[in-house]
Amino acid sequence: MPNQVAFRIYDYLKDIEPFSYLEQTVLLRVASKVEVRYQPPGTVVFCPGEPPRDRFFVVKEGTIELFSEETDGSELLVERCGEGEVFGIRPLLAGDNYVFLARAAEESLLYAVNSEGFQELIADNPRVLQYLLTSMAGSSRYAREYRAAAAAKIAVADDNSGAQRTPDLQSMQFVRQTRDPIVCRPDQTIIDAARYMTEAEVGSIVVVDDARRPVGIVTDRDLRQSVATALVSRQSPVAAIMSSPVRCIGTRATIADVQIEMLRSGVHHLVQTEDGTNRSAVVGVVSEHDVLLVQGNNPAVLIQEIGRAQSSRYLRDLRDRAETILAGFLEKEVAISYITTVMSQINDAIIRKSMKLALARMQADGHGNPPALFDWLALGSQGRGEQLLRTDQDNALIFEDVPEEKYNQVKAYFLQLSDYVTEYLNDAGYSYCDGDMMASNPKWCLSVSKWKAQFSRWMHDNTAENMLHTSIFFDYRGVWGDGSLPDKLTAHIFAEMEDHSTRFQASLAQAALQNPSPLTFFRNFVVERSGEHKDQFDLKARAMRPLTDAARVLILTARQGNINNTFLRYEALAKLEPQNAQLYHDAAEAYEVLIRLRAVLGLARGDSGRFVAPAELSRVQRLLLRNSFTPVREIQQLLEMRFQLNFLR
Amino acid sequence: MERLKRRLGLHPTDADSEDWPPWYRAYRDILAQSEVPAADRLLNTITIVVLDAETTGLDVRTDRILSLGALRVYGNSIHLAEKFEAYLPSPSSVENSHAIPIHGIIPNSRRYTYSDEPSMLAELLDYLRDSVIVGHHIGFDIEMINRALARHGAGPLKNRVVDTVGLAKRLRPAGYWTPEGDYSLDVLARRYRIPLSDRHTALGDSYITAVLWLKLLTRLAVKLDRDLRISDL
Repeated sequence: MPNQVAFRIYDYLKDIEPFSYLEQTVLLRVASKVEVRYQPPGTVVFCPGEPPRDRFFVVKEGTIELFSEETDGSELLVERCGEGEVFGIRPLLAGDNYVFLARAAEESLLYAVNSEGFQELIADNPRVLQYLLTSMAGSSRYAREYRAAAAAKIAVADDNSGAQRTPDLQSMQFVRQTRDPIVCRPDQTIIDAARYMTEAEVGSIVVVDDARRPVGIVTDRDLRQSVATALVSRQSPVAAIMSSPVRCIGTRATIADVQIEMLRSGVHHLVQTEDGTNRSAVVGVVSEHDVLLVQGNNPAVLIQEIGRAQSSRYLRDLRDRAETILAGFLEKEVAISYITTVMSQINDAIIRKSMKLALARMQADGHGNPPALFDWLALGSQGRGEQLLRTDQDNALIFEDVPEEKYNQVKAYFLQLSDYVTEYLNDAGYSYCDGDMMASNPKWCLSVSKWKAQFSRWMHDNTAENMLHTSIFFDYRGVWGDGSLPDKLTAHIFAEMEDHSTRFQASLAQAALQNPSPLTFFRNFVVERSGEHKDQFDLKARAMRPLTDAARVLILTARQGNINNTFLRYEALAKLEPQNAQLYHDAAEAYEVLIRLRAVLGLARGDSGRFVAPAELSRVQRLLLRNSFTPVREIQQLLEMRFQLNFLR
Repeated sequence: MERLKRRLGLHPTDADSEDWPPWYRAYRDILAQSEVPAADRLLNTITIVVLDAETTGLDVRTDRILSLGALRVYGNSIHLAEKFEAYLPSPSSVENSHAIPIHGIIPNSRRYTYSDEPSMLAELLDYLRDSVIVGHHIGFDIEMINRALARHGAGPLKNRVVDTVGLAKRLRPAGYWTPEGDYSLDVLARRYRIPLSDRHTALGDSYITAVLWLKLLTRLAVKLDRDLRISDL
C-alpha cells in the first residue's frame, strides 16, 4: 500500500518523460524511494568532478541552472531546468563524474530519484532507454558533455528544447557499416599504429590476431596518454598500451544496442565482429562519434563529419541531414541570424571539402599543386551568407597575377580544378548554374588584374546585363584559398568608385527598383501574369531582391566594403544614418520574415521556395508577408529620392 | 516549551522504571548511550524526524491517536523510503466521532493495516531513536503519545523537540499584521507556497511540515547570516 506522499510524487512523475513510460506499479515503487531535496536559492546540487551518487533529479518547483566551468574559471550557463525537467542522469548511466555545476536559481524542490532501481528498469523498458538516449543526443547540453562540439567553432545555440523531444526511430536503425576497419598486429610498434591511424584519419585501431580476431583496441586517447606520460617507448609494441579485451557487438546491432553497450561499459569504441564476440573476425568499428552523428542534429558534429567525408555522394547525405537541422530550427523559431550563420558554415564546409577532393584529384591526374595563389569566391546569396536551402551554384575563382607567358597554362589549371569542384558541388546537391555563373566558366576564372578590369567595365558601362552581373558578383566572399585576393579586388572597386561613383551608383539603385513594389493599389499580391509560375508570387524577385539590392548599393555608397550580409548591411546602415535607423531595422526584419518563409515553403515542397501561390499560405504567413512589403516600398522610395532616379527615368 | 518539559518531568510513570516494558527500556538504553549533541553542532548534520499524529479529537485526556506519520530529514533532503506510518483501530467510544470528516479515516475501515497501540508505540520508538523531533504544534502530538505510553506502563519521550510554530513566530512575530492565531499549518503552507495536498493524513501533514521546516530554517539562516547550530533552535 503506497502512502499518500509517494502517491503524490507518482502523480507528478507519471506525466514526465521518461517516467511516463513506466507502468503504474513500477513507477509507484520508484516514487516511494524518492528523496525530496530542498535547495535554497544559490545552493549547489552538485559540482563538476564530483562522482554522481545513486540519484538523479527532477525539478518539482523552482529552477536549477547548469553551468560549465570554462578554462579561464568563468561559469557559462549551459541549461536552465524548470519544473518537470530531468537532470544529472547522464553521468549516472555512463559512470562518469559530473561535468557541470548545478545550482538553484531560486528556491527549489527536487525529487532525487534513486537510480539503483532505475538502471534495472532501463533494461526492461526499451522506451525509457530510447528516450534517454535521444534526449541526450538532441540536447546541446549533452552534446557539450560529449565534447564533440569543442572542436568546431560554432557556438552552441541556446536551444534546449531538444531535451523534451519525443523519441525518434533513428535509434532503431542499424549502425552504418563503418569503413574498412584499420587493424594492426599486437607486435607492431606504437608509432606504426599511430601512422596507420593518421593515414586513415580514424580515431582508433583494432589490434587483431592472425585470424583477424580482435585482441585489443588503441584509441587517440591511449596514444596521447602514452606520448604525454612517456612511460612507454614509441617503439614498444601496441600491446603495451592497448585496451583489452575489447567490447564487441554484432553486425546487426542497432544504434540503440550500441548506445546501451557504451553507456553500460563506459567505453567509447565498440568493435563489430561477425558474430558479435571476440571469437570472430573484425568487420568494423563504431565510435561514440558515429553514434552521435546518426542521432545528433548537431551542426558542429555535422561540420566535423563533412571534414571527414571521402566522397561527394556522402556530402549529399550530410547536406540532406543539414536540411533536417534547418527544419528543426525553423520549427523552433530560432533566430534567423543564427540559422544563416550555421547553414553558411555548413555550406562553406562542403565547398571546402569539394575543393580538397578536387585538389587531390588534380594531384592524382598529375597536374600537381596549384601554380599560383588563388581564392575561391562564393557569390550571390552564398556570398552574403544567407543561403539556407540548396540553390544553384554561384561561384568564381581569382588567382594572383602571373607573367603573361604563363597565364594560359595557369588559367587552364584553375579551370580544370573548378570543373572538378563544381562537379562535386553538383553531386552534393548544388546544381549547376543555368546562367553559368561558375568558376568553371572561362569568363569567371580570372587573375586579379583581369577581375579588376572586369569590375571597372561593369561600373563604367551600365547596361542592364552588367548591372545584373554586379548584383551577383559584388557579393563575393572568399571561402577557400589565400584570402588576400578578394581584399585587393574590394580596394580596387572603391578606388574606381571615386571616379564613376554617381552614375554607377544610380544605375545600381535603378536596378534595385526594376521589380515593382509588390503591392497593387488594392493591397493584393502582384502575381506573375504568365509563364510557368502564373498566378504565383515571386518571393525572391519581388520582395527579397529589392531588399538585398538596396542594401548593397547603400553600403557601397557608404564605402563599407567588408560587409556582405544583408542583415549586417542594414545594421551598419542604421548606425551610419540614425535618422533612417527605423526604416533599416524594419527592412532587416522584413528580410528575416522573407528568408524564413522561403525556407519553410522550400522545405515543405522540396524546392527552392522561390515561388508561392497566395492560397498555400496560412493567414499568419500572408499577414507577415504583406507587412514585409511596406519596408520594401519605403526602401525603394528612399533609393529614388537619394539617387534622384525620378530624373533618370 | 518549559511548561511542557515540566509536565514531562512530573509524569507519574517516569519513576517506575522497574516496570517499563522491554521496548521502552531499549529506547531509553539507546538514548542513554547516545551523546547529547553539542550546542554548536551544525543542524544539517543531525537526524530530524518530522512527526504528525491524527487523533479522534483535541482533548488529550479523552481522545485517542488514530494514526501516526513521520519522515526522516537529513540535511536538506526528505527521505520517503524511510517513512513511518501506522494506523490504529478507532476506539469504540468514538466511532461516530466528529474527527472523521476532517482526516477521512473511517473507523474500522479495511483500507489500512492496523497495529495495536503498544506495538505501534514500540515501532515508533525504534524509528525515533535519538532523533530531534519536529512538528507543527508538536506539543499536542507529544502529549498524546506520552499519555499512550503511560497507558502501557512506559515512560515519556525524551527526545529534543522543536515546534515549527515557534520557528515561524521567530521569523515573523505576531503583531499588527499577523494575528496571534495565524500560525496554522494551512496559513504557513500558503505563506511559504507549499502545496496543500494530502492534508489531514498523518504522513501528508508530516510531509508538508517537513518542507515547511526546511524553508523556515533557510530563512532563519539568512536572518542570522550563518549556518544554523543546535543552539539556534
